[in-house]
Amino acid sequence: MHKQIEGIIENIEKVMIGKREVAELSVVALLSGGHVLLEDVPGVGKTMMVRALAKSVSAEFKRIQFTPDLLPSDVLGVSIYNPKTLQFEFRPGPIVGNIILADEINRTSPKTQSALLESMEESSVTVDGETLQIPKPFFVMATQNPIEYEGTYPLPEAQLDRFLLKIKMGYPTAQEEIEVLRRAEKTEPITQLSPVISIEELIELQEEVLNVYVDDSIKSYIVQLARATRKVSEIYLGVSPRASIALMKACQAYAKMKDRDFVKPDDVQYLAPYVFGHRIILKPEARYEGVTVEGIVDRILSNAVIPIKRYAEK
Amino acid sequence: MKKNNFKRLELALYYVVVFFILREWLVPIMELTGTGYTSLILLFIAINLVLNLFKVHYSISWVIKLVYMSWFIVFVYSGQSILSVDGFLFLLDIFKTNSAIIIQSDWVHVTDPFRTLLFFILIWMLIYLIHHWITVRMTIFYFIVLTVFFIATLDTFTEYDGSNAIIKIVLLGLMMTSILFIKRLLSQSNVHIAWFKYIKLVMPIVFLIGLSGIVAILLPKSPPQWPDPVPFIKSAAGQGEEIDNRDGVSKVGYGENDSRLGGSFIADDTVVFLAQAETKQYWRVETKDIYTSKGWEKSDYFVGTASVYLPNEPIYHSLPVGPEEETQSASIQVLYPFEFIIQPYGLKSIEVDGTADGSIELHMDDNSEKLIPKVNNSTITLDNYLVQYSKPVYLYSELKNPTEEMNPFIQERYLQLPETLPSRVRDLAEEIVAGEETPYDKARAIEMYFRQNGFRYSTDNVAVPAEDQDYVDQFLFETKIGYCDNFSTSMVVLLRSIGIPARWVKGFAGGDVINTDGAVKEFQVTNNDAHSWVEAYIPNVGWINFEPTIGFNNTRTINYDVQTNAYQQEELTVDEETEPDETVEEEEEEQQKTTEKNNILSTFVDFIKEHKVVLIFVFIVLVLFAFSLYKLRRKWLPKVYVRMNKQKQFSEASFEAMYLQLLKILELKGFKRLEGQTLQSFAAEVDAYYSTKHMSNITKAYEQFIYAKDLREVDFDEMKESWEYLINQTTS
Repeated sequence: MHKQIEGIIENIEKVMIGKREVAELSVVALLSGGHVLLEDVPGVGKTMMVRALAKSVSAEFKRIQFTPDLLPSDVLGVSIYNPKTLQFEFRPGPIVGNIILADEINRTSPKTQSALLESMEESSVTVDGETLQIPKPFFVMATQNPIEYEGTYPLPEAQLDRFLLKIKMGYPTAQEEIEVLRRAEKTEPITQLSPVISIEELIELQEEVLNVYVDDSIKSYIVQLARATRKVSEIYLGVSPRASIALMKACQAYAKMKDRDFVKPDDVQYLAPYVFGHRIILKPEARYEGVTVEGIVDRILSNAVIPIKRYAEK
Repeated sequence: MKKNNFKRLELALYYVVVFFILREWLVPIMELTGTGYTSLILLFIAINLVLNLFKVHYSISWVIKLVYMSWFIVFVYSGQSILSVDGFLFLLDIFKTNSAIIIQSDWVHVTDPFRTLLFFILIWMLIYLIHHWITVRMTIFYFIVLTVFFIATLDTFTEYDGSNAIIKIVLLGLMMTSILFIKRLLSQSNVHIAWFKYIKLVMPIVFLIGLSGIVAILLPKSPPQWPDPVPFIKSAAGQGEEIDNRDGVSKVGYGENDSRLGGSFIADDTVVFLAQAETKQYWRVETKDIYTSKGWEKSDYFVGTASVYLPNEPIYHSLPVGPEEETQSASIQVLYPFEFIIQPYGLKSIEVDGTADGSIELHMDDNSEKLIPKVNNSTITLDNYLVQYSKPVYLYSELKNPTEEMNPFIQERYLQLPETLPSRVRDLAEEIVAGEETPYDKARAIEMYFRQNGFRYSTDNVAVPAEDQDYVDQFLFETKIGYCDNFSTSMVVLLRSIGIPARWVKGFAGGDVINTDGAVKEFQVTNNDAHSWVEAYIPNVGWINFEPTIGFNNTRTINYDVQTNAYQQEELTVDEETEPDETVEEEEEEQQKTTEKNNILSTFVDFIKEHKVVLIFVFIVLVLFAFSLYKLRRKWLPKVYVRMNKQKQFSEASFEAMYLQLLKILELKGFKRLEGQTLQSFAAEVDAYYSTKHMSNITKAYEQFIYAKDLREVDFDEMKESWEYLINQTTS
């Protein structure tokens, strides 16, 4: 485990009990410059997770609560006429920050959703022909309620593709929940958190992640997995090459977190469900039959041939 | 404490079973070798088992066993007490003499007491092995299989009757195997259960095996479903028995019983004797004179008489002998337990190798002219002897002009024919010889008859005459397919039916030349060369041999004194294409050579046909061998790999190969890595099983090697150590 990264995760764990895996995955996304979609029912700690992460890295934390009547300008910012200077002045919206919590993203209209997602992809905001670069690190954690709930606008496929990982929180165990209560009894734990890493250090880490070595054999393994998703009969739409890139980047970050300077098939296997899960769209009939994306990814993983020899060009 | 007692009780139970199984081993050995004191040897087994049971320290148990062995030997072989001075000296003496014998590797002369000692040690070792099987390997299966095989073999090939033993062994063995299987399961999964639960587990098995055993014993059993393979195996192993099975297919060879001829033959290449002689010739064994319409019997014309000759003494027989100056000798080396002498034509005397055998007598049966070597009136087999002979030379003038009156005794004896002989046989004989004047010409005509009238030589699909059918009649008029017995018998019958005395001769054809040393050739005669032919009596001349069988040549020397008037000697073969004044033997060889060249393919096909059974057997054995090698690959393949790689150094170049090999060996051991399983998780599984860290260590380095292409920090010595550790774990 990389010491600095271990520090971040431990810090988060002070607040989030029994959610180490979610913390790790969030940090993986943060390190590889991707964004995370947290999906679960309300109240399991999605927001707390993001806040804890933001506090740990001493980054600027902003929160956008998505509602059905939210407009794109409420997210991106708006140009206001300044009578003093006789000019339009751009007032950046909440999207311009380091760590953004986009809460309940599927409650807003697709118009606003896409405004957010465009800026996530480009790391910039464009209003009235003016483009404003969003400073690094830029990390969006969106939360969404499961699609089956009332009053939600499901995210379009193309938008989903922009999230590096989709993570499910899940309920704590009884033991963990007791511990949650115990900690919340007297104080609000989140207020106790102090940053463990500076923005500069974080950016440095992000750059180091890019130097993690990915062997061609691993690349071919990733491609093998991606291609497999496009051939499964129950899948309506397989994953895109962007997903392959995302998987590789996530693996690099994960390897860095494990303090390793190369990627192993184990990393790929571990991350593939989180990277591919939200990018695969099942055929309706398969869904009715009870087929799940997780099941299919599992199957693909167990059928794919892991490279155990030195890679040789074919 | 209680648990220990239970374990001991359990082991005691196994030992009781083992004792009974060992008893089944011992009893037939004792019975067949005529060894006594079975109970004392059983006692030794029991002592061994008890000592093992109570885990007596080996210093004590060795002393007990050695003392028992010494006591047994002294008691059995000298009748004295081991404590007496004489008994002790006796024991000492045994060791002294036998150690000298063993140092000289003179195994034959090792004395019985010492053999007994070795036998005891063998039992000792066997019991130790069984102890190991039961307590460590927890499997007794191989021992049971071996026991069954042993008893089955004894039952099949000896007079020992194992039908009761086999039941006991199978029942006891199955119980033992299944109880040990439970034990093995329990110990493998580290489960300990209370003794009453154990009994509960075992009882149904014991009950089931007992029940199925009883049912199996009581059920009616069908007779054997395939012909008894034992005679074939025995003859293949060189213990051939006489051929008297005429119903089905027999095996070719020299047999004594010719009373029922007919039926097919399988070829047999067993070499029966080697002869060193100058010329190829027929080897005569005996003649038969009574034709029964089914086969041949020997008459009792001379009641109970035999002429006895000593070696080197001139031997008298009914055949003519050639001139003195033409005497040759042939040395015969017999490789088969024949109780007769193989005689060339023109036999003069027999010389037996080795002067020490002065007491050998040669008894000639006057009825069949079979020559039997005897010592003190009991028949022996002679392995090596020298026959002196001079080939008879027949004067053409005498053959053509029989002046002598026919000997009435010969007529009486050699014109016998069964009354049931169909008249068409006689008619045919008359027809064949029509126009021929002299007996010799008539005989020649009959001899040649078979070569022209649609007869075929074959050992396959040869008919056996029905109850009311005549063997000769069937061959001459119905089947026309047969081998030497058909041709020769038919010719004898045809000759007799026109008044020419004839007899049936058995022996061997010339064989194949396998060596040439100057003028002397070495002939190899096999069972395939067993043959029968004809001798006819021509007045003036005496007995002369004929060869009616298609494809066989027998030479008889005829001096054509009429045509050339000079003392010119030529050989005539019965082969009709052969001109009488050519040197037949050379041509014969030449012919053989050309046919050989032309027929390499057909010889190959023949070879395959002839040895079909053997080839199939060999093929099955090979397939079984290959299959078992494959099945047992996890036992030997790792060892091969280790041997291959023991010398190899771990390096960047060999790392991949070594690691992949390790995976393969682990797979053989049962650790199958699925294609989608990462090396790391696989290594964790292996390490969990062997409770080590070696596999993870080596895997970590290997992952670095293939996924990072970086080996800078890898310690190859450590890798090799881990590798060897894992290999040893898998092969142990």
